[in-house]
Amino acid sequence: MTMDLSKKVFVLGIDGAPETLLAEYVEQGVMPNLKNILSGGYDLVQMDASIPDVSSTSWASFMTGVNPGEHGIYGFMELLPNTYRLTFPNYASVKAPALWDIIGGTSGIKASTLADKFKGRVPNNLRSIVINMPETFPAPALNGVLTSGFVCPDLKKGTYPESAYEYLRSINYIMDIEASNASDKPDAFFDEALLALNKRAEAFLHFMDNERWDLFIGVVTETDRLHHFFFDAARDKTHKYHERFVFFYTRMDDIIGRVFERFMASTNGRGLFMTMSDHGFAPIRKEVYLNRLFVEKGLLTLDPAREYFEQIGAGSKAFVMDPGRIYINFEGRYPGGAVSARDRSSVVNEIKSILIDLKDSDGNAVINRVYDGTELYSGDESARSPDLVAVGNDGFDIKGNIKKPQAFGTSHFRGMHTRHDAHCVMPSGTAPLGRLHIENIASIILERFI
Amino acid sequence: MDHLTALENKSIFIIREAYFRFRNIAMLWSVGKDSTTLLWLVRKAFFGEVPFPIIHIDTTYKFPEMYRFRDEYAKKWGLNLIVGRNEGQVEAGMGPGKGTKLDCCNELKTNALKQIIEKNGFKALLLGIRRDEHGIRAKERVFSPRDENFKWDYENQPAELWDQYKSTAAEDNHFRVHPILHMTELDIWKYMKREKIPLTELYLSKNGKRYRSIGCAPCCSPIESTASNVDEIIAELESTHTSERAGRAQDKEDAYTMQKLRSLGYM
Amino acid sequence: MEERALHIVIVGSVDHGKSTLIGRLFFDSGSLPPEKLAEIKRVCEELGRPLEFAYVMDNLEEERTRGITIDIAHTFFTTPKRKYVIIDAPGHKEFLKNMISGSSQAEAAILLVEITRGIQEQTLRHCYILSLLGIKQVAVTVNKMDLVGYSEAAFLDLKKRIEEVTMKYGITPSYIIPISAMEGENVAKASEKLSWYKGPTVLEALDNFEEMKIEEKGARFPVQDTYEISGQKIVAGRIEAGRLREGQELWVLPGKTKAKVASIKKYLEPDLKEAQTGECVGLILEGVDVKRGDILSETLSPTITRTVHANIFWMIDKDYKLGIPLTFKCATQEARGKIERIRRSFDPASEKEAVTDAVSISQAEVAEVDITLSAEVAIERFSDIPELGRFVLEHDGRPVAGGIII
Repeated sequence: MTMDLSKKVFVLGIDGAPETLLAEYVEQGVMPNLKNILSGGYDLVQMDASIPDVSSTSWASFMTGVNPGEHGIYGFMELLPNTYRLTFPNYASVKAPALWDIIGGTSGIKASTLADKFKGRVPNNLRSIVINMPETFPAPALNGVLTSGFVCPDLKKGTYPESAYEYLRSINYIMDIEASNASDKPDAFFDEALLALNKRAEAFLHFMDNERWDLFIGVVTETDRLHHFFFDAARDKTHKYHERFVFFYTRMDDIIGRVFERFMASTNGRGLFMTMSDHGFAPIRKEVYLNRLFVEKGLLTLDPAREYFEQIGAGSKAFVMDPGRIYINFEGRYPGGAVSARDRSSVVNEIKSILIDLKDSDGNAVINRVYDGTELYSGDESARSPDLVAVGNDGFDIKGNIKKPQAFGTSHFRGMHTRHDAHCVMPSGTAPLGRLHIENIASIILERFI
Repeated sequence: MDHLTALENKSIFIIREAYFRFRNIAMLWSVGKDSTTLLWLVRKAFFGEVPFPIIHIDTTYKFPEMYRFRDEYAKKWGLNLIVGRNEGQVEAGMGPGKGTKLDCCNELKTNALKQIIEKNGFKALLLGIRRDEHGIRAKERVFSPRDENFKWDYENQPAELWDQYKSTAAEDNHFRVHPILHMTELDIWKYMKREKIPLTELYLSKNGKRYRSIGCAPCCSPIESTASNVDEIIAELESTHTSERAGRAQDKEDAYTMQKLRSLGYM
Repeated sequence: MEERALHIVIVGSVDHGKSTLIGRLFFDSGSLPPEKLAEIKRVCEELGRPLEFAYVMDNLEEERTRGITIDIAHTFFTTPKRKYVIIDAPGHKEFLKNMISGSSQAEAAILLVEITRGIQEQTLRHCYILSLLGIKQVAVTVNKMDLVGYSEAAFLDLKKRIEEVTMKYGITPSYIIPISAMEGENVAKASEKLSWYKGPTVLEALDNFEEMKIEEKGARFPVQDTYEISGQKIVAGRIEAGRLREGQELWVLPGKTKAKVASIKKYLEPDLKEAQTGECVGLILEGVDVKRGDILSETLSPTITRTVHANIFWMIDKDYKLGIPLTFKCATQEARGKIERIRRSFDPASEKEAVTDAVSISQAEVAEVDITLSAEVAIERFSDIPELGRFVLEHDGRPVAGGIII
């Protein structure tokens, strides 16, 4: 049997790598390998992330190729039905089949518009290798190999099959670096980020060479960590950690070059190679705590004696979960629900006008746009969607923290996610017309397997 | 030799030991996945035949799917099926609504079985229990003697080593023999998958729920699950393999997740 | 990575640092889940103590006794080379009855000796049991070297004693390793403080051990039962050594007649031409009628005898007195008999001299005996074919002793 070498896809995920920064680093010679790739028939394209632009949602949109209304992931936390108690969605909450399910014949009862579209058009016996993909814990039994990325509390449960777990253990693979080191032990933080990056690369190369596969998705998440704490160092040459930040990107570039070369060598240059990110990044000017704003505006009362969202008091009209997910405190949906369904539009209008008028102390508009959940999401999971999503202007990091004493503040975080500045590197002419959206990538990949 | 093949050979050895030793034996078939797997192993041990009766204790409260499945495979596999029913109690209206649950089980299951053993004089019963089912099972032996009151003296059990199973002593009324004691729930599912062993559809997800174990309909409740075939059940078990201690494990995972999210400013 | 786990038994008393060593092995091999380590760290911090690896074992123990599910994974640890299963073997008297069966599956052992205490009663019992069970791959670890300032002289002194004692019991330790389990010296990483020691660390020593292989020996097939199925007589049993092939000629022991394998049967596997050790199969034989207890053998190497010379360990609390009738069960063979002579009997944990030509054996005692049987059996030395070299003795239908043919 001869294999069609063009039907092989390698996707390198670089969590939080902005298109604008990559373009600058290519220009400045920080990333010669990427430059080389771009000059050989590939484009660096700016891409929109999901709304909200949080990694769990965006990666779920990437892996399923559908909107959160179908895949069901709106953030890293949710409230348990009919309560204010927190729960943490994991892969069991992803309701749509992922790329590896669609081409691997493991969709089971999961269905989606994308899977329907490609049903019978792509094979169902292809093998996928998926390394460090966020929101895939616990690891599913796929046709291939998978190790979960953020959040992965247990490498063993997060890896399928067990032999892959054993391999990862044998190289002292790092699931996730200790982000809490960033402020008090920055050098240790950078060291660990580089080490983790090396381990990821080691794992990529190992599985590339030692497994049979059709689709390879390798994700680096250390970029996101670095950006959260040191994005101000990305362009500021006087920043104490500028050099270390740039050095990290040169290592990232090495890895891009190595996997590209190896992949192209193994497919005679005919495979589909892409890099992409789940969102962009921008420096933070202010953190904005919408729950506090809602308290000030009389939309929300809190009982400080309680924890997290159980603080929400009877009579509250709305509350916010990270990053800008606004939930109306509907009767019948929450134990202290106070808004009846027929009052939805008046509460929505009240919230929208408060948010659109919101300015910081220098008079800058904070909110770029307030989306209505009904316009953003469609599918079986859209009933659970946030009622509104507030997206901030660059520099204003919208937070769902419920314990802050003021509506504006600053902290040790230096970078915030942006929706409009994710990136994708793909062969020229591959991108669909119009602006590229993260949900488009799955189709591009599946087209390859037809 | 791979893991499942090793488990299979161990079970077949035990089944043949029990049949040689007692000849007058029977197997208890609940129609559930474990005893159906055991029945499959019995068929393999005797080259497709089943040389002894298969007992099904009918409390009259089983799921309709179970009766259908029982009758279909009893016929297909040529089983000498003995259906045991405590007729007196069934007629007297014993059921989960009457008396305690324990009374109901005692009358409709235990006493029905006693009557069958007495009537047929069985010297041993093959049972599909597993060591990982319950703490007390960890102490079980493969050949477990019972006195005439069915009592199991688990604090004073004989040693069992090197596949040498205890011979019959004066006080031993009959033996319970456990050929799949060494298998885990996951082993069972993986073996069922490999061997394509049939199972009742009650184990498969319908409307987001399925049964993890089956028995009498009024006393079984389904679990939340989307696993609609054996592969998905295996995946589900593998990803929640600590589910019997799920509370503690879940707490730990949540604490880890919260710490991680907090460190990135999400909480 | 090898697929199958190596079963190791760790023998040594708690004072000798067994829990600490096991904790260290888990920790240093990276086999401890991070949350478990965090939990142990927190406990130690709350107690104001340094990180104590004995807690690892306690933690696992707690889970195990709380039981419900026996989470096998927790008794595993992993090195890049392979998985290990630790079989826990407490040093108490009950060990004989309850744990021998588990330990009999061990392929290698770590014997733990503490540097300041040296060879103790328990050490002797442990040595004896290892030798009795035929465990040949043994690493002796001399623990708590930190207490003697990592002194080479102290180690060499004790090493000499260990070599004397183990030789007496017929064990040849593959390695004698100075370690400090508490400090992690020479467990997973070579110790600088013990730089005068040039041998392997504990993990390296374990990785050097080998799994019990299915060796290419002559076939042995103890007949378990015979069935009439569709007019054919099928001889059922499990292959205990070697492999069987269609057309193969076999000796039928103890009668020394010959039979030929006409075909090999397994349900749903037609056209089976060959089967290997561990497989339960059915045979259609030409040439002779066989029954349960017959041993089909490729060679005539098994001993055909009515007298069995063996080491036995007595498992019940009633004493054996010479002449009491017993049943001898070896593979599928069963014969009535009695112990004719107790050459030596002793409690391996006691310093008392062995009693020669004893008249009784008590619980937890070991004895070298001659057993006479009412019928011939085919046996082999445990070290040659384990399945035909070990047996159980029963009295009135209850197992009373296990034995190894020497």
